[in-house]
Amino acid sequence: MSGPAGIGHIVHPTAPTSHPALPVEPLLEVRGLSVSYGRIRAVEGVDLAVEPGRIVSLVGSNGAGKSTTLMAISGILPLAAGTVRFAGEDITRLAPEARVGRGIAHVPERRRVFAGMSVRENLVLGGYSRGDRAEIERDIDTLTALFPILGKRLGQAAGTLSGGEQQMLAIARGLMSRPSLLIMDEPTMGLAPQVIDLILDTVLEIRARGTTVLLVEQNAVEAMRLSDHVYVMRLGRIVHQDSGSNIDPDRVKAFYMGAEA
Amino acid sequence: MDYFGQLLANGLVLGAVYALAAVAFTLVYGVVRLVNFAFGELFMVGAFLTTSLMLPEVRLVGHVVPMPGFSFPVAALVAVLLTAALGVAVDRIAYRPLRRAPRLAPLITSIAVSVVLQSLAQTVWGAEELRFPEFELATYPPVVLFDSIYLSVMDLVVMASALCAMTGLTLFVARSSLGRAMRASAEDQTAALLVGVPVDRVVAAAFAIGSGFAALAGVLYAQTYGFAHSSMGFLPGLKALTAAVLGGIGSIPGAALGGVVLGLVEALGAGYLPNGTAWKDAISFVLLVLLLYVRPQGLLGRPELNAAGRGSLLGGAAEMGGWLRGVFAGLDRLLAGSSARGGAVALGAVALAAAAGLLVPSDYWLRILTTVLIYGMLASGLNVIVGFAGLLDLGFVAFWAVGSYLTSILFVLVLKDGFGVALQETWWLFYLNLPLGGLLAAALAVLLGTPTLRLRGDYLAIMTLGFGEIVRIVAINWVGLTNGPMGIRGIPAPVLFGVPLGTPRAQFFLALTLAAAVVFIVARLVRSYVGRAWVAIREDEEAAEAMGVPTARYKLYAYAMSGFVGGFVGVFYAHYQQYISPLNFSLFENIILLMLIVLGGLGTFIGPFVGAVIWIVFLQVAIDIPFVQAYPETRFALLGVILIALMLFRPQGLAASARVPLVMAGAGPGKAGRAEGAVAGRAGT
Repeated sequence: MSGPAGIGHIVHPTAPTSHPALPVEPLLEVRGLSVSYGRIRAVEGVDLAVEPGRIVSLVGSNGAGKSTTLMAISGILPLAAGTVRFAGEDITRLAPEARVGRGIAHVPERRRVFAGMSVRENLVLGGYSRGDRAEIERDIDTLTALFPILGKRLGQAAGTLSGGEQQMLAIARGLMSRPSLLIMDEPTMGLAPQVIDLILDTVLEIRARGTTVLLVEQNAVEAMRLSDHVYVMRLGRIVHQDSGSNIDPDRVKAFYMGAEA
Repeated sequence: MDYFGQLLANGLVLGAVYALAAVAFTLVYGVVRLVNFAFGELFMVGAFLTTSLMLPEVRLVGHVVPMPGFSFPVAALVAVLLTAALGVAVDRIAYRPLRRAPRLAPLITSIAVSVVLQSLAQTVWGAEELRFPEFELATYPPVVLFDSIYLSVMDLVVMASALCAMTGLTLFVARSSLGRAMRASAEDQTAALLVGVPVDRVVAAAFAIGSGFAALAGVLYAQTYGFAHSSMGFLPGLKALTAAVLGGIGSIPGAALGGVVLGLVEALGAGYLPNGTAWKDAISFVLLVLLLYVRPQGLLGRPELNAAGRGSLLGGAAEMGGWLRGVFAGLDRLLAGSSARGGAVALGAVALAAAAGLLVPSDYWLRILTTVLIYGMLASGLNVIVGFAGLLDLGFVAFWAVGSYLTSILFVLVLKDGFGVALQETWWLFYLNLPLGGLLAAALAVLLGTPTLRLRGDYLAIMTLGFGEIVRIVAINWVGLTNGPMGIRGIPAPVLFGVPLGTPRAQFFLALTLAAAVVFIVARLVRSYVGRAWVAIREDEEAAEAMGVPTARYKLYAYAMSGFVGGFVGVFYAHYQQYISPLNFSLFENIILLMLIVLGGLGTFIGPFVGAVIWIVFLQVAIDIPFVQAYPETRFALLGVILIALMLFRPQGLAASARVPLVMAGAGPGKAGRAEGAVAGRAGT
């Protein structure tokens, strides 16, 4: 995708666009995060940090606790233990909608667009937490420039879009809140290979424009190709992490599949 | 034509009121998928507040309190706003903590809220009707259309305000930011939260608007009929719910259409059918049952694409609970043995009850204990369908009524009055009638159950409710068969081989024998493959279906069994009371029975009896308190409050550990316990 110019105002003003050599203050910092479903502990003691301007992925097999971790970061699931800090502030006890207001947008698994509402209404809802309602129309224009197909479908019910179009809508809806961190949960799930490439290019594009990305992918190979940092989860815990050029696909795969060392 | 035109006009006025209240049901159902039965009571509160605010003074809880004496529009506005605030408070306290609970929990809570509000209103405003004051607008001469159709100015006000409110709401939901957020929350609450919609506040707004609409409907209704009364919201509430379902619950234009259709059908039915006024309530419920049969989604509703949640309302439990749990932990341990050593415990309970029957000296207490057994048995019957199969049945009293009426009609109207038989000679018929009444009720239950099988849980509850009301209305109005509201007197007490069982002690032991039989039959059934199928349906109907359980057939069995117990107990009840009337079989009785099984523990064998003992004994003990003597209805308010607290803090009821779980080996409260049981079961194989 050739990202058209014009989402400039979505750029986080302080976000570095290249990889800094020195460690910087993380935008998102999760410590000792545990989540339980009833008596079953789904996520245990997860520590992770997302530095600004990076693409960080969380990979792992089905049921490893990736989506649960994301839902806890967004405030949908209650924490059994641990803290979540965002932009220097402790947001552990903040309501989900307040977290959106602080700059965290979450593009959920299986897209979950509002199927009965039009594409435009979905986008407008994405900006619900914003005070500057006047800017919303301008951002809709900007995002339809990023996803031209959505521009042609603004009046159409979101449920009638194809899977790939729905995924683009879900991402655009997330960007409508002008987040500094975009959380994406399995954005390529169930999509055709061509569409997957398009979506992954968009992830790079979003980062290039200054929004930090926390990505969950089952497709570890693709995730590693994109990411600045990779965490591997298994059975509710983080079992491995690697950064930048150190990312070794074979080792990540080994941990993914359940090697102990 | 003139007559028809006038009926049409009357129907439109009535329809406008129904439509307004129907919007309340539809809006809240649309956003949180909850049938808030309490809207009938918010309707009543709106009417009382307006009436009170317009008067110079009102008698509240027996004290004369000065009132501002507002004009009608001001009083109505203030009342609508206050009721909206009350609706928000009810949501915050009673429903919000239950958002992730199985759907049966908030449904039952809303019924409890209804009981509380109605009882409190009776305490505050008294049991008498409060007359709606005269005001200027109402004294204007009526408008005459086509020379013959009379409409008062207030009739026009009713229609105009309904039209304005409805149009305004439609625009609000379609255009405003909050309205958009409401639709988003209705579609997917999690996704709404993720885009930054404060769902709790949006739901509160839906409750505020819904309660305001219900209150406005109540105000207009009170103004039209000239009074306010604590039970005035009951029937219009049901009608409004009917209208909402008729139009397609969740759809605002649907609610408007449903209200108008219902108003017209009622007005025309009352005007043209023979004895139509008496039957007009039945007309709306028959319409409801028929419509749900042919078009469950209503006139304007879209069929649910996702069939999840069909049938059982108890399944899909998320973790619930709170600090109060610890308080009950001791009781849990006390009762924990009962599921493992059920037989011994049952024998012990029967022996204990028998000893009580021998030792209790006064006839007064023997009668109370017999009442406990009757309510316990009835609650056991209802528990089969609600507690084991997880289907909410609000028409259970109809089965009870069928059994009672069968035996009463046979004995009194046919044998004694018809053939002049001396009833001592046909004493054996009572024992024949016990299973016969049961079978007749079971047959009726299957007849009712068949069309409801494909309905979602909420619709099922509404349909059974309509059915129960139809049976009651038939009992009142089919005077030739049932003696109508006069009831049937002179039903003979049971006799056994010439020995009359008329003494309280004899009747107690007869009741105890029947109760033992009922519990034994229910327990055997629940512990068999049938019961396992029920519990599977309750926990997850789709999974059960996927595992090859013919869910439709087993749901019918549950209906039949529940109906059988209802009819069976009904036969005994008639001979015990020796007098029955339609008043004995009201929806309120059904609600009390439901509360008793929730109190004791849904899906347990002893729960219904635990609930019945607590409730009936409490009723008697509390009546000695002077305040309760002055305001007997406060006992019902207390039961409602206890029920709400139980739903919030201990949804599994008092006898929780005795609940029959999906995996029999893993008895324990809550979902986690069951999950553990399932894991243990798998490890064992």
